[in-house]
Amino acid sequence: MADPFETLGVDPRFDLDLRALEQRHRDLSKALHPDRYSGAPAQERRLSLGRAIDVNEAFRVLRDPIRRAEALLRRGGAKVGETVEPAAPPALLMEIMEVREELSDAARAKDLPSILRLGAAMTARQEATLKKLAQAFADAATEPGKISDALPILGELRYVRRFLDEVSALEEELSP
Amino acid sequence: MAYSEKVIEHYENPRNVGTLDKADDQVGTGLVGAPACGDVMRLQIKVGDDGRIEDAKFKTFGCGSAIASSSLATEWLKGKTVDEAATIKNSMIATELNLPPVKIHCSVLAEDAIKSAIADFRSKQAAKKSLASG
Repeated sequence: MADPFETLGVDPRFDLDLRALEQRHRDLSKALHPDRYSGAPAQERRLSLGRAIDVNEAFRVLRDPIRRAEALLRRGGAKVGETVEPAAPPALLMEIMEVREELSDAARAKDLPSILRLGAAMTARQEATLKKLAQAFADAATEPGKISDALPILGELRYVRRFLDEVSALEEELSP
Repeated sequence: MAYSEKVIEHYENPRNVGTLDKADDQVGTGLVGAPACGDVMRLQIKVGDDGRIEDAKFKTFGCGSAIASSSLATEWLKGKTVDEAATIKNSMIATELNLPPVKIHCSVLAEDAIKSAIADFRSKQAAKKSLASG
């Protein structure tokens, strides 16, 4: 896959201005819209369509913090993926296991307030993790050797995200 | 993606879900996670005086394949000696459950959990021995 930062022509950083990113995506999509190429030669139409698809995919990658972090890590030469990423520290696993058990107990009891409380606590944690990740990437921008420091924080974010996805699913299921 | 029948069977009727007393020195606990997807798995063994695994329990928060892999692992663990248990490989689990290539990592997680539970049990036994002799 092409580098999404190059595709959209934005600075490769974690703390992107999401509104500017959206605007950039809108501008590019408009410029590449098939209507603008209706009279163009077939070759050019194909190229612009292919480019429009790339732009959409790059936008989807960059607006998601996890995929954005993965793209930055790949740019920095770090390996990303199931078998190459460092294992989570035991304390994090224990903590996640504990809250997952609490959440599943609350789900079994159909206890929506507890589910929402657990979700709110984890959302706060997500904010803190995103800040840590932004800092790690900012450090790596001045010292490229530090890029792999972002890997365990990204791992943490995935555990957090997974939990929040579960909370959203339960919320939807149990909301009146 | 379609799950195999065996995965669905374990997913719908998971064997040995639960918890053993972590503080018991006959119990080994393995806690592992998959950093790329955020799944967590806990697998515990209780070893009898004859050195055989008399009970095994698991709790997995993850996809169907991760649940099936750990459920199958606990089934296989019961009755085995600790050394026999250590020979269980992820490829055996993946083959038994017909896991597709993208789900192989779930069986790897189960193997890691077994190894980690055995390591925990052995370190408790070693600590007990050194306490007894020291």
